Amino acid sequence: MSKDLRFLVVDDYSTMRRIIKNLLQDLGYANIAEADDGKTALPMLQTGNYDFVVTDWNMPVMPGLDLLKAIRADGKLKGLPVLMVTAEAKREQIVEAVQAGVSGYVVKPFTAEVLKQKLEKILQTRAAAAG
Amino acid sequence: MNSTTLRAAAHDASQRNLERLRPLLERLTTAVAAGDAAEFEHLLDDLVHARRKDLFAELRRLTSQVRTALESFQCDARLTDLAEKEVPDARQRLQHVLKLTDDAAHQTMDLIERCGPLVDMLVTGPGKRPVGAKEAAAAVVSLRRNLSEMHLAQGYQDLTGQIIRGVITLVDEVESALSGLLRLVGDAVPAAPARTSAPNTGYGPVVPGVDHGAAVQSQQDVDALLSGLGL
Repeated sequence: MSKDLRFLVVDDYSTMRRIIKNLLQDLGYANIAEADDGKTALPMLQTGNYDFVVTDWNMPVMPGLDLLKAIRADGKLKGLPVLMVTAEAKREQIVEAVQAGVSGYVVKPFTAEVLKQKLEKILQTRAAAAG
Repeated sequence: MNSTTLRAAAHDASQRNLERLRPLLERLTTAVAAGDAAEFEHLLDDLVHARRKDLFAELRRLTSQVRTALESFQCDARLTDLAEKEVPDARQRLQHVLKLTDDAAHQTMDLIERCGPLVDMLVTGPGKRPVGAKEAAAAVVSLRRNLSEMHLAQGYQDLTGQIIRGVITLVDEVESALSGLLRLVGDAVPAAPARTSAPNTGYGPVVPGVDHGAAVQSQQDVDALLSGLGL
């Protein structure tokens, strides 16, 4: 699996961004940028410089669910994998995220192994679909 | 209550008294006309008694009004103090808690990241050659120091805990001041429409004992739900 994937990690807490970034680096990914909410993330994504989004849900200004919907509504971005890593744990929310087109859902607190599994599953599914 | 309304209320009360006492007064006049001294004394006692009863009732009503006004004043004063000073203070205190937890988390992660290369060096050696005894000892000393500093960084919990406890006390006080105010105004204030949550922004982490309902308990629950939805 290519380690050249370009990640955008979106979370309003710098500590959580740092944790996810370190975990991704441990998995061998070096190309990781950060944004602190959906509103900052969206223009970054529109530059076309990212292959994978890891986003929180509960953020000020533009929450993760809105970011997900904006990505799926954008002609150029709609195919981008979006992994939601969030403390939001209500069943109705998970269903809503799936309906909005989320690629994977991880509840906080999470382990390195769970993040790795979800990432690999998403990438495998995409590789299978593309192949 | 302004002075005009008070005067009108007093006038109404006098009218009612007159109507109520009229039969007694008529019997009194009759007793005087008949020269019935015993009946006259008896009716006069009744009249005085009725007057005294009215006075006590009025006094009770006034006392109750004064008490309510005093309670209301104390409640208002406390609420003003809470709203103008203590709640803004609490906001700043909680901002400080955020900063302390943020600093501590970053400091701990800095130390962990400093440990990484030391551990790598101990395992694989500096460059391609095996690690020397002196280098190993120095790396272990650095690791030990980093671990101690990580330990110290957890001191934030004591400080933030104290601040959060203070804010909990304040929330208790705001709750009781608001309840007091609600008791005083009773039904005078129309009920505001229930606040609807905006799920788009999320609910935040599930808090045991507060959040109930259909929340998942673990990543396994999430995975089961996702696979049920075809993901």
